[in-house]
Amino acid sequence: MTTAKRLGLATVALISLGGSAAYYATMMAMQGYSVPRSGLSYLVLGLIAALTALVLLAFWRSVQRSVRTVSSQLENMTRTRQIGLVMADGADEIAQITRPLNEFLTATRTQIEQLRGENRELQIQSRIAAAEKHHTEAIIFSISDAVLVTNRFDELILANEAAEKLLGFRLASSLRKNIDRIISDGTLVRLVRETRSHGRNFTRRVVEHSIDQKGTPKTFSVTLSCVVTDNEEVSGVVAVLHDITREKEIAKMKTDFVSNVSHELKTPLASIKAYVEMLIDGEAEDKKTQREFYDIIASETDRLHRLIENILNISRIESGVVKVVREPISLTGVVKQVLDVARPQAKQKNLQLVDRLAPVYYQVEADHDMIYQAVMNLVSNAIKYTPENGSVTVSVTVDERRGVVVCDVSDTGAGIPADDLPHIFDKFYRVRANNKLAKGTGLGLTLVKHIVETVHDGKMSVTSESGKGSTFSFEMPLLV
Amino acid sequence: MKGKILVADDEAHILHVVSMKLRNAGYEVVTAVDGEEALELCGSERPDLIITDYQMPIMTGLEALKQIRQCEGMRDIPAIMLTARGFDIEASEMIAAGIASVLAKPFSPREVLEKVTELLGSDDEGTQAQ
Repeated sequence: MTTAKRLGLATVALISLGGSAAYYATMMAMQGYSVPRSGLSYLVLGLIAALTALVLLAFWRSVQRSVRTVSSQLENMTRTRQIGLVMADGADEIAQITRPLNEFLTATRTQIEQLRGENRELQIQSRIAAAEKHHTEAIIFSISDAVLVTNRFDELILANEAAEKLLGFRLASSLRKNIDRIISDGTLVRLVRETRSHGRNFTRRVVEHSIDQKGTPKTFSVTLSCVVTDNEEVSGVVAVLHDITREKEIAKMKTDFVSNVSHELKTPLASIKAYVEMLIDGEAEDKKTQREFYDIIASETDRLHRLIENILNISRIESGVVKVVREPISLTGVVKQVLDVARPQAKQKNLQLVDRLAPVYYQVEADHDMIYQAVMNLVSNAIKYTPENGSVTVSVTVDERRGVVVCDVSDTGAGIPADDLPHIFDKFYRVRANNKLAKGTGLGLTLVKHIVETVHDGKMSVTSESGKGSTFSFEMPLLV
Repeated sequence: MKGKILVADDEAHILHVVSMKLRNAGYEVVTAVDGEEALELCGSERPDLIITDYQMPIMTGLEALKQIRQCEGMRDIPAIMLTARGFDIEASEMIAAGIASVLAKPFSPREVLEKVTELLGSDDEGTQAQ
């Protein structure tokens, strides 16, 4: 029975009691009994009032207790942030409210747990996405090619360090700015715009484009790709600039080398072929002319052979396949061997061959045959380009303080014009002004420099004054 | 004398062999070792035909021919070019320099003589008939 019902019954009982008392008093008065009216009725009324007050008090207490219990439970839930069930004792009316409240609380709890689960899921996914973003950025930043990413409004949204350096901007201050305000290279801006506007029909293209970098033109292979969303809309463009300057240079060097080699090989070959044909056709009538032709053919064949040997030696050194036998040798010893061979050649031109050589016991670690070849090339060049009655001086000096042995080959010859000097070691480079003085392959000095620097980690240098002479020097570490 | 030919080449052997072949065939030959000398000789010797190497110091054969074409009476002199770099010469440049024939090195002296006869042939027959 609920408190209200109990209260109702108590009220009915009190009213009946009060009513009965009033009725009884009325009847007694009607039958002539003298009823001490005021005393009796006051007694009854007081009794009723007291009873009513008692019942009401009991009821109030019960409700208060229930409300306190429920509210303290609710406060507890709020404090602990844990939704549980509410238990009410005392007044049944409050207990009645707790049922739907509990249903509501249970539903809320379920929903909160569900949301928490979803939230956790989202957090994980967002963490994964962030990690993936970092990953992608790390990849982009570590690429040595310049990478630019723009959105559908041609605004910069990502670029790596290589792009910053190449195009001269700072990513931090350029984000979300239109690329035409960041990149001064009009062609690149146009390419990005074109790629974006052509969109799906044109998702990837590769363009060769030249960009000046600190005054030097560099060639790039620019790959432009559209970023296409699931709805097949173009959301941006990725541009990757790969520096192909070196590749182009190498390709050109190869072509030039082949072209130069074939030209150089064809020259002696042309002489050989022509003289042979002249002999066959009987154009050389007397024995003396025939003899002259045979000599020319022989010397041109030697020239061809030397040329091929030089080309092979240079390319062996350049490709690193050359076999080097390093052993302690005396540079003075090598120079003496060279001078012995070169002396007759110098005598023919009446050249003075002077040597100033350090003691033999100073040694370097080197390949004897290669150093011999290098010194021979320098000495025979000096003899070739020095007019009669001049002099060629070869010296070997030891600089113990620097720990090097220096070999100088000086002549009083034609010298090298200042314009030619920086190219003197280039393959096939010949000083035009001195072309008439001697024949050459344009490979001799290239080979010397390779032998000294590439093979032996030495240093090659030249000083020259046109018309007065040249000094070619190389130094190598002294063996201690 | 069948005609005067200017031969220009920086390679002494080539100069020697071509000159000999042509002299043996009855031509008068003057020689130059670079483009500049060729240009000078053209003015003084007035040759009937020019044979020149392409790559020469100071001035290339091509440049020399272009300049020779500017000189009075030199516009139509037939020219043969010898070259070890067959593919480097543009057709337009060949026309500008008035090159009638290009012979690639290594060449045959016989072939050079044939070309010369072909280019000077009609004139020679004319002069011989007189």
